[in-house]
Amino acid sequence: MSGGFALFLFTLAAAFEWGEFMGWVNVPLIFVSLGIVGVGLLVWWRQDWSYGVDGKESMHLWEPKSTGTPFQNIDIRKVALWVFLMSEMMVFTSLFSTYMRYRLGIPNCKTVFNSGDWVEGTAVNCFEPASHLIASSWFHLAPGAINTFALIISSFTIVQALRYAKMKDIDENVRRKKVTRYLGTTWFLAVLFLTLKMIEWFLGFPLPEFMHEFNHGDSTIKSLYAEGYLINADHYQHHYYDTHYLESHGGMDQDTALYAMMQEGTHPGGHMMANIQVSATTFYVTTGTHGAHVFGGIVGLTYMTLKAARGGYTPDNAVSIEYFGLYWHFVDLVWVLVFPFFYLY
Amino acid sequence: MAGRRPKIVVLALVAIAAMLAVPSAQSLPGGISGVQQSGCNCHGAVPSDSVVASIQGLPDSYNYSESYELTVSFQGGPSQEGNSNQGGFHLWASDGSLSVNDATAQLYNENEAGHTEAGNDQTSWTLTWTAPTTDKNVEFVLHVNSVNGNEDGAGGGSSGDMWSKVAVSLSGPIEVLEAADPFVVLGVLIIVSATLLAITLAYVFYRKDPDAFDWDNFAPWLADWLTSTDHKKIGTLYFVAGLFFLGVGGIMAMIIRIQLAVPGNDFLTQEQYNQFFTLHGTTMIFLAAMPMINGFANWMIPLQLGAKDLALPRINAMSFWLQPFAALLIFTGVFSGHGADTGWTGYAPYVVSEGAHHGTTMWAAGQILLVASSTLTGINFLTTMAVMRAPGMGWMQMPLFSWSILVANVMLFLSIPAFGVGLIQVYLDRVVGTAFYDIAAGGDPLLWSHLFWYFGHPEVYVVVVPSFGIISEVIATSSRRSVFGYRSMVYAMAGIGIVAFIVYGHHMFTSGMSPTLRFVTMLTTMLVAVPTGIKVFNWLMTMHGGSLVYRTHTLWALGFLVTFTLGGISGMFFPSIAMDTHLHESYFVVAHFHYVLVGGTVFGFFAGIYYWWPKATGKMLSEKLGVLHFLTAFISYNALFWPMHRLGVWGMTRRHHTYFVTTEEALGSLPMEAAGWNMFITVSGFLFFFSNFILVFNMISSSIRGENAPDDPWGGWSFEWMTSSPPPAHTLYKLDDGTWGIPTLKDANEHIANEPGIIGRWFQRLLVSDEDTGEVAH
Amino acid sequence: MAHYKILGQDPYWMNFIGLMVLTVIEVAAVGIELGTTITLAILTVIAIPKFFMIAAIFMHLYGDEDSGILTLTALFPAFFIIIMVLFVGLTHPDAATGLPDWCRPGNYGL
Repeated sequence: MSGGFALFLFTLAAAFEWGEFMGWVNVPLIFVSLGIVGVGLLVWWRQDWSYGVDGKESMHLWEPKSTGTPFQNIDIRKVALWVFLMSEMMVFTSLFSTYMRYRLGIPNCKTVFNSGDWVEGTAVNCFEPASHLIASSWFHLAPGAINTFALIISSFTIVQALRYAKMKDIDENVRRKKVTRYLGTTWFLAVLFLTLKMIEWFLGFPLPEFMHEFNHGDSTIKSLYAEGYLINADHYQHHYYDTHYLESHGGMDQDTALYAMMQEGTHPGGHMMANIQVSATTFYVTTGTHGAHVFGGIVGLTYMTLKAARGGYTPDNAVSIEYFGLYWHFVDLVWVLVFPFFYLY
Repeated sequence: MAGRRPKIVVLALVAIAAMLAVPSAQSLPGGISGVQQSGCNCHGAVPSDSVVASIQGLPDSYNYSESYELTVSFQGGPSQEGNSNQGGFHLWASDGSLSVNDATAQLYNENEAGHTEAGNDQTSWTLTWTAPTTDKNVEFVLHVNSVNGNEDGAGGGSSGDMWSKVAVSLSGPIEVLEAADPFVVLGVLIIVSATLLAITLAYVFYRKDPDAFDWDNFAPWLADWLTSTDHKKIGTLYFVAGLFFLGVGGIMAMIIRIQLAVPGNDFLTQEQYNQFFTLHGTTMIFLAAMPMINGFANWMIPLQLGAKDLALPRINAMSFWLQPFAALLIFTGVFSGHGADTGWTGYAPYVVSEGAHHGTTMWAAGQILLVASSTLTGINFLTTMAVMRAPGMGWMQMPLFSWSILVANVMLFLSIPAFGVGLIQVYLDRVVGTAFYDIAAGGDPLLWSHLFWYFGHPEVYVVVVPSFGIISEVIATSSRRSVFGYRSMVYAMAGIGIVAFIVYGHHMFTSGMSPTLRFVTMLTTMLVAVPTGIKVFNWLMTMHGGSLVYRTHTLWALGFLVTFTLGGISGMFFPSIAMDTHLHESYFVVAHFHYVLVGGTVFGFFAGIYYWWPKATGKMLSEKLGVLHFLTAFISYNALFWPMHRLGVWGMTRRHHTYFVTTEEALGSLPMEAAGWNMFITVSGFLFFFSNFILVFNMISSSIRGENAPDDPWGGWSFEWMTSSPPPAHTLYKLDDGTWGIPTLKDANEHIANEPGIIGRWFQRLLVSDEDTGEVAH
Repeated sequence: MAHYKILGQDPYWMNFIGLMVLTVIEVAAVGIELGTTITLAILTVIAIPKFFMIAAIFMHLYGDEDSGILTLTALFPAFFIIIMVLFVGLTHPDAATGLPDWCRPGNYGL
């Protein structure tokens, strides 16, 4: 079982590696390796399944409790999970530190633009926070905001699932249905989160007719991808940094050095070109890492929902929902930090 | 049982199919596929294919001592008539002697020639080369620089320049054997070692039970080893893997030493040398030291705590199995000449540049797996120690080895995510094209340094603190008393653990990082030596107050005290930023960390091996061989690393593939004695390497015909000595009354020096398990 | 599970409502465009209680019998996080203008 698990990691790393380098020829290997992941996971789950599903009474379920102070009588796996969360805190701290370092170290694109210290046609290194694009209108904010609500609601539903799984004196059928429903809702919300993230990143979405006027007449909300906010964007141009656009749309800030230069007629050009690779990289990788953690949660949730549907959660082993719940709350917590500092600020 | 065999066959077939399907690169000796030799550059310019260099005048094969007139020239690039400067060259010939014809070229030494200031304005130069009288193939490497003449431009005039190179190989009149290719040597040695290992294991297995040596017994035996989650088996797996990679790392070190034995050696090219020291470092730290620590920890921690197993056995298994696969990834590309050549520290921006070999990406990928493995291990051990101690065993009753593993693991899982994030950044930069370390886009290479050393410094403590624990145990037992100052030992270790996180800047003093941070780090580094000093003092006091019994493990512990202290003292020269500026990247650093890593960690391991081998295997190691091992290894080790201090002060640089000596005071050259010392070091290195085979031999012969070990051969006082040798295998099995059966420590007092009688019997009764159900739960 | 009540209601439900309210305020703060510094201050000030609400109530760090030690466990990395943020996040060589004086290395009493 562990052998299978490890083999998948190997082929995953090998295949993914070469796949990206060598083009589409090696993509099938990626799927092979993912398949091996799946096999390993299935073996793991199969072991867990036998605990409590199909009513194996002889194999009773105990959750080992700790004996050592000061953790006396706390479930061992709960402690293990908190320790794991500690290390995850360090992961996100590292990512945040990277973001902080770059954001503070590289001048902000807006500042650079307004100072007039650029030349048309030459890309200038500056930091363009994603919030500039995302927080620019309610529509752009919508996916992110809905995601926030989705995660908070999902945190709530997972707690409810745990509560019903643990409830002592309710009918088994009722318990099964409730737990399954709450777990299923959590699953759905998590998938919604990732879907909205993909829409926000890549797809964009069209607006119904009556909303067009609120969106400057555009019929769609562009995705970040469509706006050019990419990790290889070394000649990024946006209408925010286009003096002609700003003039015609009345968005020029009057007390900037740039405006003064334009009045004098010495302005450097019309459209600033920026190298925003670093900004895009930190944004996508940080939010992507969070998304990867959400995805991991979805994988776990899939199993748990299926298990719940078969009546696998009783007050005795409801704690495993609690463990997942802890992880899930942590994911929500990280989002609570990521959302304001990456999307809004 | 019968049902398992087809499963194994299927698994094996899948594994083989997967491995066959993975695309492979053509490897030696038919030809190294696409080796890129970026080599050094000229005046900071960029390489370009549009510049074509050439050497004319070479014959098809040289005759002894004949002189040939060579014309080196280039075409292409920004150089043109009318530029204030047009170009430059640098020619290196591996053999024979060069001489210049006119003032446009100059001779650096008989193997190297370059252009002069006067020769700046042309695109071709003539030289004379006299063939040697050896029959060796002669390699010529020509670097040319095509200059665009903007003297006052950025970079001192070298912006916009392009360089290129060409390499020519010339054979002598007689076809001679090619010089040994180091990769072939490495590959052969690794395969030989692996085969020997496999044969040894099979042989040991055979000797244990000759009658049962057949396929029917072998397959389930192998399957058990592959899928077990029992901490003892996993400990053994870690240990064997670690020992194997210790050998592999040692082989690499030997090859490095061959290269450095004489000045100007050409056994390894610069490219190859870079890969070798990278892999030596990575192998030794991540594939040898960490697994061996985990091996000891997996074995001893549950026994010392009185726990049945670790907190998360399946995850423990996964932690282990990530290692061999990570090792495979890390070594990928080595044999095709593309292995990572960034140094084990993988500094940006080189690590994400085109110049670094393709193997670097795999190196990063493998290390990401190792990060995962270490994180899981850290979580596992911390949880185990927090929650699974025997009832009555408080924190301050844990044996010191357990404390050391606790501190090490806490440091590990808190610091390694930083490294993991950095690696992912490097990996993404190289694979997907993100811009974390892309300087042109504003990326900051110092970020990598920060992330790496935020992990790297706690990591080296992770590697050495368990040795502290082992030494505490060994010295206490050998002195026949408990350790002096248990509390202060614990606080010292915890102090090291915390302070380790704020000293990492001392690896970056010369990187140009924030001056304030440099100052802070200087102070904290000086501070962190204090707890270590407390520990050394306590060990000395332990021996002083006790009565020392001289066993092999005692000798190793004493050796540890000497070498680790020396290493620590040599390390105290580095916090002073001024000293560090001189000593950075010199062999003084190499001497220091080998003294603490080998003299500290590895000697600790050796002590641990001799100490716990009877417990783990039930057989005694031969004391005579042990003493022989110690004497030869200790002496050759000191002969190996002590002279490096001197070499470092002279200015011999580390990570350079060769060095030159001169009688003059030229910059960058060493005094003539340096050559002799390097040869001395190489010879000692070989002696040290081979002396460790005494240990291997000892282990094998003990497995086969060693005398049976009693439960407690040394008179130790912690829990593991109260089980049988070896302890019975026990898996988690269903308990008939639903309670958790843990041995209890009724009367725990300050020391664990309880009367083994009552408690020991309790323990024995609880721990000797029933039949192996073979069912692994949890 | 939590044995206490907030404002007389189920604690999880109330926590949830509270979090939603705070999020709405957050989004509104950005939408109204008050200027970078104020927005950042508001975001930080709101993120902190959100953080605590999730950790304390959803993750059972408040009010459970085992919450004492688990809270300490959760807070243990705080030292290391601060170190990393200080040493890695705030020491970019060009970070001259972005930081307020009291935040820049060299100015907080070292």
